[in-house]
Amino acid sequence: MATNVDSVPHFRADWRLGRFTTWLTTTDHKRIGILYIWTCLGFFALGGGLALMMRSQLMKPDEHLLSGSTYNQMVTIHGTTMIFLVIVPILAGFGNFLAPLMIGARDMAFPRLNALSYWFFLLGGIVIFASFFAKGGAAAAGWTSYAPLSTLHEPGRGQDLWILGLHILTLSSFAGAVNFIVTIHNMRAPGMTWTRMPLFIWALLTYAWMLVAVLPTLSAGLTMMLLDRHYGTHFFDPAHGGAPLLYQHVFWFFGHPEVYIMILPAMGIISEVIPVFARKPIFGYSAVVWSTVGIAFLSMLVWAHHMFAVGLPTGLDSFFMMTSMVIAVPTGVKIFNWLATLWRGNISFDTPMLWAIGFIAVFTVGGLSGIFLAAFPVDWQLTGTYFVVAHIHYVLFGGSIFAIFAGLYYWWPKIFGRMLDERLGRAHFWLVFVGFNVTFFPQHLLGLLGMPRRVYTYNEHGLWEIYNMISTIGSYVMALGMLIFVVNVIKTSRTGRRAGNDPWSADTLEWYATSPPPPWNFDRVPYVTSARPLRDWRRRLAEQGRL
Amino acid sequence: MPPGVPRVGLLLFAAVCTLVLAHAAGAGTGGLLPPTPHSPNAHRITDAYEFVLVFVVVIFVLVEGALLAFVVRYRRGKRARTAEGPQIHGATRLEIIWTVVPALILAAIATFVFYKLPGITGPPAAAAADQTTIKVEGRQFYWMFRYPNGAVSVGTMVAPANEVVHESVYAPADDVIHSWWVPNLAGQIDAIPGQTNHSWFEAPVGDYIARCALLCGIQHAKMIAHVDVVPRAQYETFIAARKADATGIALGKEEFQYVCSTCHHLTTAYVGPALAGNPLLKDVKGITLILREGVGNMPAVASDWSDDQIKALIAYTKTIKVPKANGN
Repeated sequence: MATNVDSVPHFRADWRLGRFTTWLTTTDHKRIGILYIWTCLGFFALGGGLALMMRSQLMKPDEHLLSGSTYNQMVTIHGTTMIFLVIVPILAGFGNFLAPLMIGARDMAFPRLNALSYWFFLLGGIVIFASFFAKGGAAAAGWTSYAPLSTLHEPGRGQDLWILGLHILTLSSFAGAVNFIVTIHNMRAPGMTWTRMPLFIWALLTYAWMLVAVLPTLSAGLTMMLLDRHYGTHFFDPAHGGAPLLYQHVFWFFGHPEVYIMILPAMGIISEVIPVFARKPIFGYSAVVWSTVGIAFLSMLVWAHHMFAVGLPTGLDSFFMMTSMVIAVPTGVKIFNWLATLWRGNISFDTPMLWAIGFIAVFTVGGLSGIFLAAFPVDWQLTGTYFVVAHIHYVLFGGSIFAIFAGLYYWWPKIFGRMLDERLGRAHFWLVFVGFNVTFFPQHLLGLLGMPRRVYTYNEHGLWEIYNMISTIGSYVMALGMLIFVVNVIKTSRTGRRAGNDPWSADTLEWYATSPPPPWNFDRVPYVTSARPLRDWRRRLAEQGRL
Repeated sequence: MPPGVPRVGLLLFAAVCTLVLAHAAGAGTGGLLPPTPHSPNAHRITDAYEFVLVFVVVIFVLVEGALLAFVVRYRRGKRARTAEGPQIHGATRLEIIWTVVPALILAAIATFVFYKLPGITGPPAAAAADQTTIKVEGRQFYWMFRYPNGAVSVGTMVAPANEVVHESVYAPADDVIHSWWVPNLAGQIDAIPGQTNHSWFEAPVGDYIARCALLCGIQHAKMIAHVDVVPRAQYETFIAARKADATGIALGKEEFQYVCSTCHHLTTAYVGPALAGNPLLKDVKGITLILREGVGNMPAVASDWSDDQIKALIAYTKTIKVPKANGN
């Protein structure tokens, strides 16, 4: 069993235990988790800033705030940031902090590899943002970086740094995924069988297996792109017998599972939060687990639904339409099980629960708009337009980011030992919830009006102008909400109410430890008797008259 | 009303939604449906869209309704925070129902799509004899059209009305991927280097806007074209005139407007430098080389133009009068 060296007194004089060096040299999964979360929140602010500038540019027709070149760089880095530097790694951050605590272990299986994952992640992020200062600016071919635009028509160094940054991030994620898999498979507390594992851990395990399955494909695609750019190969160059569509197949074979990599752990967070604040067990534990695993499997069979407009044979289009529709079924199963968990509950509206309910409300919209996109002839009118922008934000912002905030408000007391302010939390939620819908709902309509995505300006008035204006105002409302979160964090960092071990009367093992937990996590690892060990423990105490 | 739900916020939200929908209802499809279809394939896509929309709206109302009802009905109220609801762990029958019913709905949607599909991908068989094929070439950052008789136009496609017009959509091997989209006539089809895709329409007389729907570089937003659908006789006259006057300033004007002006203004710097007074413009060999090979950030916009096309452009540029003021 790994004993954390930080706790051993004679190491106190070590240079590695200084105020800052302790964070630089730490291998404690909780500290690494905290580093991940803070870094991701920093990148979230940067990526959000880019989004606000883009929305300002699009507020009115023929606006001149940003040039086409700058806008394309921002589009690219905004997408890359939110996906590779915010959602995927912050879920790894939650996983780092929580996985050992939730399964009753004292650390991750490979603590030093874990530290390496974090530092690679930070390095990758720095490379991507530093590329704004490269010759020719940052990459500007979109986060999907389709060839041959990204290979033959982007002479700047930004695209190379984008490839380098993503390669580094891929290594980081891969090492992290292996660590999660080994930890969850081998280090669960006595009594924690597969069917007693918290649903967030199930989701995290699936996330890790999916990363292992598809990250190598991304690495291959990036390497081919680099070789095409600099070393005379012609993988994607049609003038020399290459195939531009090869890149799209490779990219989306990674890229679509990536979408589920971003949403499954988020759904895992929702499956933890809802039962606790509804005072009921999750409805259909095994249905939720199997739908997670089912989505992971199906997610590798739907990639070409991103390519309906490239002129695939009708048979292939039909296959990918049907697989894409099939994947809606397990997604629906999850939503119905969450609703059934709320049914006849005793629902408290603490901030984590507001975000979780908000998640169900908006993610449903994202799931439903996906049905239009799966029906490939309908997709021909929608792909490449703002309808798709609306769809991805309903699933990745309304989905993943809402769940991440549910998780932050839920586990903040455990991570930092102090409660966040409820009043500010509610203001944060409502501003973002309203701002989110005001920003992104009109974008469905813009797409249907004919507005292509990734345009830096437009020359249309009437409804185009009205919807764009509404959308931009919504984004400012969201930004205001996010500022309130910052105020909340600063305000409660010194004066917030002490959390105690278990402020929410929750069900899972992390609440058995103190808040924040000591480096060794548990004095004694409890024996796990069900999927809700803490509720069992509270009942035993009550029966013995000790509670 | 559960605690934590500010009434003002909800009212505001409802007000914004109503406003949006009211505006939308007041102006054509207004963004609630795909753009008004003017071709049988676009029409059938809209049918499929509406079919999906019906199910989506019903499911949306049911799910959000249940969510809202449960949240209000089962709020804590005066109960103790830790008071438990009934400890129900699941119900296999319910799980089966909410797996099978959505699967059936999706099967219905897929069936409807397959029913509409032949009329979307292929033109009516009766019309197969009487048809024109126009080549649509996507380039950074303009659309070029080649007609059966060899005539060329840039930025505006002229097509005969009320008959099937086939489009062969492609990009030259040295260009990037674009997506040809005339929302009123048909769905998007990518113009991919080294590959020819097919689309078609059958439209009444009218001017339809076309856009590039795939990020293709710095002026992606400006890659807009028109499809000018005219009576058959007018179409014949147009392509005959174009062929007869292959070096004429009519073509040159289109080339200047849709190819050059996308990045260059006359007297002010834009994406590229100002054109007026640029000594290179006087050097026919030099300008031809730049157009064909590209220079610096400028793509080889004319790499596959005929000599006549270049002559047409140069002929047109000689007619341009540069304004004295800072106009464009």
